[in-house]
Amino acid sequence: MSNSVPNIYDIDMPVRAFVTKRLIGIDSKKSVQDAAKLMVQFDISSLVAMEGEKVVGFLTDADIKRKVVAQGLPTSTTVDQVMESHLITIDIGTRVRDVLGVMSEKNIKHLLVEDRGVITGIVTFRDLIDIERHKLETYISRE
Amino acid sequence: MRLCHISDTHFGSGSHFNRQVFVDSMLGITKEHFDVVIHTGDVTDDGRLEHFREAKKHFDELGLPLVVIPGNHDARSGGIAIFEEYLGPANGVKVIGDALIIHINSATPDNDDGRVGMVKFNLIKEALSSYPHLPIKIVAIHHHVIPIPKAGRERNILSNAGDLLDLFLRNDVDLVLSGHRHYPNVYKVESTVLVNAGTLSGRKTRYGDVNSYNLVEIEEEQVIVETRRIDGSREQKRYPRRCQSFFHDFGRRELRLVHMSNTMITEGRVFLKKAFDSAVNTINSLDADLAIHCGGIVYEGIPEDYNLAKRKMAKIKVPVLYTPAGRDTNYLGFHLFTQSFGPVTQQFANEWVHVQGLASFQYDTTIGIIGETERNTFFSKMRSVASAFRVMFLHHNITPVPHARERGLLEDSGDLLRRAVDEGIDLVLTGTSSHPNAMQVENTVIVNANSLSCIYQRSLFGNSFNLIDIYEHCLVVSEINSLWGARRIVGMWGRAQRES
Repeated sequence: MSNSVPNIYDIDMPVRAFVTKRLIGIDSKKSVQDAAKLMVQFDISSLVAMEGEKVVGFLTDADIKRKVVAQGLPTSTTVDQVMESHLITIDIGTRVRDVLGVMSEKNIKHLLVEDRGVITGIVTFRDLIDIERHKLETYISRE
Repeated sequence: MRLCHISDTHFGSGSHFNRQVFVDSMLGITKEHFDVVIHTGDVTDDGRLEHFREAKKHFDELGLPLVVIPGNHDARSGGIAIFEEYLGPANGVKVIGDALIIHINSATPDNDDGRVGMVKFNLIKEALSSYPHLPIKIVAIHHHVIPIPKAGRERNILSNAGDLLDLFLRNDVDLVLSGHRHYPNVYKVESTVLVNAGTLSGRKTRYGDVNSYNLVEIEEEQVIVETRRIDGSREQKRYPRRCQSFFHDFGRRELRLVHMSNTMITEGRVFLKKAFDSAVNTINSLDADLAIHCGGIVYEGIPEDYNLAKRKMAKIKVPVLYTPAGRDTNYLGFHLFTQSFGPVTQQFANEWVHVQGLASFQYDTTIGIIGETERNTFFSKMRSVASAFRVMFLHHNITPVPHARERGLLEDSGDLLRRAVDEGIDLVLTGTSSHPNAMQVENTVIVNANSLSCIYQRSLFGNSFNLIDIYEHCLVVSEINSLWGARRIVGMWGRAQRES
């Protein structure tokens, strides 16, 4: 895996610093139309499906495209009918190298992140691309 | 983890060191159980050998694990070399129990200012990377990274405080311990608790306060900080270690604000006309209730720039509130500002919100100041509208901004920040240093705006402005790219429910 990763990545850093620690959720009994509206409202591509305060699934814009629109299902289809309920999570201390490994192995671009056993964030492939910008911090600190 | 945080002992032969208070405090400390004692610098008053020797003798008598870092006073008289000989490495990493303790020397010889250069910045980064499974992360650094109240002229902080704070917050550092200002202070910023210690045994206490030290307990779900003063009084604060992660019940949208800064309107190349015009189109399509310009309207305070600015800003169809930056008032700027955009302090109020400007500019300088009289007047006014959602806006940043040297900070930012937090101001908007940044300090959300349309900006996302949506149950801050209108969420926080 590491050989295929461009050297811009700090691949041995824990993923913690690149995790989005605020997640937008939706009640799993709401419709995919409501979910799509929420994605448009906040210009985001994924939502956490919830039952009360418990995370029960994960829904991406690709799920809506693939499992609802392309299949001709109505927009009233509920989130829990199409969400990914087999949640793939990683620990917040996992190194970027291993996160990329999981994404590649499972062919997914979003991963939920656990901190001390509780889901607290999400990391996306896009977040890992942004790692390069963190090199600026140390460069600027040269002053 | 239970630790004792001491600072600024100022061992010396002059009148600054209060030996009796030191002895009494140490007696109190030795009677309790601590996993570690952390001393955040200024062990000595002037970095002299005999005082390091004396300090070491006392510290050895403690019989507890001890982490000590130098302060600016220890760096005097070539003191760092003596410090390391007697008290150990000035920079380093220790693992005590299940806690990672990173201790960093921020002192620079014969200079009271602090600095954490590239090598030490990397040391912190690497240390945070090297122990990912230790559940407690502590950083000890003499100079504070966030302004401290009651400290007089409060601009003497680390030159790269913004980058350090960003590093600590991103890595969920549990606790940052500092000294330097001789005034005990505690803030929770996002999930990090920043603790400043008073002086343990220096006579130079502030605002009639007495000597003190802190006790910190880090439990599974909370951090408890207790300041213990030599007069026997105790002050305790408790903070949950986790922040709210999920937002699914937003409630109705109460208010939508556009927050911008540093448009720098001029005929010259620094003003990006296309970025400005695109941003105006986006702003007009957002159905916002109000726009707030946090200064840097024109590039120079000259008639040509103001004439253009007046025409350009008139294209925004939402009501706009303005506050000037120093550059807006240079030359004829003060007169031109009031002629073109109204008074230097502006406000907006309806039955739900009170938005109040605060003039922080000074002529011919990037440095801002409010002053005690103005601050008192401002907060009296805000107190009279305490039932409203209260927004305060000014040009200068009151918390450090990443990727920028702390040169535009407010002279009295320590007092203003403490007051805004204690008075329960809901939202503070600022606009210096052209970097979008948002954080919650206790229950107050503080947002800085990037430059909307100037070539001098610091966001990799490009020129941008902020969109702030205040819902019934939460507050969402997004950054919107000026040119393309792309949006990314900068932060989201639950709103504390008010008692009716």
